[in-house]
Amino acid sequence: MKKLTLFLFIFSLFLILNPEKKMAAESLQARIDSMKEGATLKLENKTYVGNIVIHKPITIIGSKDTVIKGDGTGNVISVKASHVKLSHLTVIHGSMDMNSSEEYAGIKIYTNNNVVEHVSVRDSFHGIYLSQSHHNIIRNNTIKGWGKNIIAEQGDGLQIWYSNDNLLINNTIDGTRDGIFFIYANNNQIYGNNISDTRYGLHYMYSDNNVFERNTFTMNAGGAAIMNSNHIKLKNNQFIFNYGNQSFGVLLLQANDNHIENNTFYMNQRGIYLDEATRNTFSKNKIIQNQIGVELWGSCNQQTFTLNHISENTLPVVTLGGTGHGNSFSKNGKGNDWGISFPLTDLDQNGIGDSSITYRSSLHQLLEDQELTTFFLKSPAINIYEMVNAFLNHDDVMFKDPYPLVTGKGSHTTIYLLMGLGILLVLILIKGRHRLCITFGRNGRKI
Amino acid sequence: MHYIWKEWKENIRGKGLWLSLSIIVLVSISVLIRSSALSFDKGFYVLLINLFDTIIYFIPILCLFIGAFSIFQEKEQKTLIMLITKKEKYSSFLFKKSLALYSVVLGPILIWFFFYQILLKFKFSIDVKGYFIFVFAILCLALVFLQMGSAIGSISRSRMQIVGASIFVWFYFFFLHDFILLSYLPNVTFEKVKLFSMGYFLNPLEAIRMYLETGMGVYSFGHMSRMLEAFMWTKPSIFLFGNLFFWLLVSFLLAIIFNRKEAFE
Repeated sequence: MKKLTLFLFIFSLFLILNPEKKMAAESLQARIDSMKEGATLKLENKTYVGNIVIHKPITIIGSKDTVIKGDGTGNVISVKASHVKLSHLTVIHGSMDMNSSEEYAGIKIYTNNNVVEHVSVRDSFHGIYLSQSHHNIIRNNTIKGWGKNIIAEQGDGLQIWYSNDNLLINNTIDGTRDGIFFIYANNNQIYGNNISDTRYGLHYMYSDNNVFERNTFTMNAGGAAIMNSNHIKLKNNQFIFNYGNQSFGVLLLQANDNHIENNTFYMNQRGIYLDEATRNTFSKNKIIQNQIGVELWGSCNQQTFTLNHISENTLPVVTLGGTGHGNSFSKNGKGNDWGISFPLTDLDQNGIGDSSITYRSSLHQLLEDQELTTFFLKSPAINIYEMVNAFLNHDDVMFKDPYPLVTGKGSHTTIYLLMGLGILLVLILIKGRHRLCITFGRNGRKI
Repeated sequence: MHYIWKEWKENIRGKGLWLSLSIIVLVSISVLIRSSALSFDKGFYVLLINLFDTIIYFIPILCLFIGAFSIFQEKEQKTLIMLITKKEKYSSFLFKKSLALYSVVLGPILIWFFFYQILLKFKFSIDVKGYFIFVFAILCLALVFLQMGSAIGSISRSRMQIVGASIFVWFYFFFLHDFILLSYLPNVTFEKVKLFSMGYFLNPLEAIRMYLETGMGVYSFGHMSRMLEAFMWTKPSIFLFGNLFFWLLVSFLLAIIFNRKEAFE
């Protein structure tokens, strides 16, 4: 009797000291284990303690404030059965251990045909991890990391490893190491995701035949780094403000036969950055207000640029490390629109300029030899440097567009406006010196 | 306080301050209108960087003119002789005059950007810290060029000299300073990079831009090489304060040493 009393006392003490954790964990896992295949579990607005492992095809639906909190030792939710559906959950506190046998995540999926939607993941190494997992739908999820300055200590928003034919749609990823990391993952479709404040919004290795549409990559160290991958389609994406000393909108490194169409590259350090890439086509993209529009290394061959709008960049195109073979800035008699930087006439009004455009620059040598050059790309002194070197014949041809597209009427208005302002400035300096002095001095009174 | 009140009354009667303010207001509004298509979350940062890149063309030259003509006016109207009594030296006059100039020019700019923030709130998600850094950067820009203007005003003997010197200073910091550095760039080695960095950040436009872009978190310095790390050998805020200290001190000392109390024309 004494022993029984002692046992009950210790057990009650244990429950008092750590009541919710043990019971809730056991109860959630136990409830999942006790469910029938195909059943639905509706969770309340409270915090459930993980970690949990799902071994049968079920649906778990949470509410606005449903939280599943891991114990920090592994994946918060491990999906080891097909046809599982998780929705409306907040998943937190996965393991951040980098010395373990596997990399952990908020939600790690090992199987096929699952759906994860309206789930928020934070405080975990990876957000959602597809591990040899195919035909899944990952949509409308929010994954938040620790910020883009933390690289090694955290994982990726979505990690897609040896996983094919998945649909990733309308996810929001912020502050993780990489936004979406693909490795050996083919035939995936990625639509409408919003990725910001990461190292690479999209990090891509050895993965082919994927389609990316309507995604937005903002304020990452690099928008999309596509490496060793072929036959990728990037359409209607926005690469905005990927802005740092080594930043880019899109990097193609050892990537071949990719189609980059109708994307916007705005205010990046480099809009498009190509190295050891072959047979890529860039069409109908807007490459505007970047410090370097297109950076093309000599190891790149057979790139085609057609129907792009490339304007207001400090350097529209720069060719470094020699000139590649077969790179072309037109296709089928259609070049690119180079904006007001290259005024053109179109007397036959066929939309193609009457003369070709040849762009020369002297900065390529500096950019090749001295990495500090990037600090000057926003300086107005660049224009003077280019003019002086052009005068001294120190510049080289960066590109030739034999069929440049003619800009619309709006750009002519800007030219006239700038000419008008210039004339006004000259008049003020010649005739209006006294007026200027009256304005700023003498209390505004005339002398 | 008398100086502030006097400066305020003079500037209200004058057109220079109003012209400068109206340019800042017009530029800010036009950039806001142009940025209306940007996203709610990140558009705020794009707008502020675009605004800074545009406004940087106007504020330096306007502040140079305001500072220079404000000092020159004291000479022209002979009030400088009256203000510099036996008790007051030129240095103390310049100090008080500079403080008055700061308050008269920076105050309205501060007020405008307070209202501007309200306009931004309708379009974008506001990062208060980022906005504070932006406003502080603009104020620093105005401050340093006002002080340079005061030095030009102190040294110049005619309005023509003021116009010429102001345009030269503006041209120097906009074009020549970086052009000289660009010419030296191929010879910069790892051993010399720290010195080169000091030269680079001696340009207030570059020091302020770096402070703004890193402070707002839009410029990332990930994966820096040894060379880049050596170039950024201290924090951007230290570069900014060092730059401010240097130019305020140099402008002040030049104004005191080379000041001319008489004016022609």
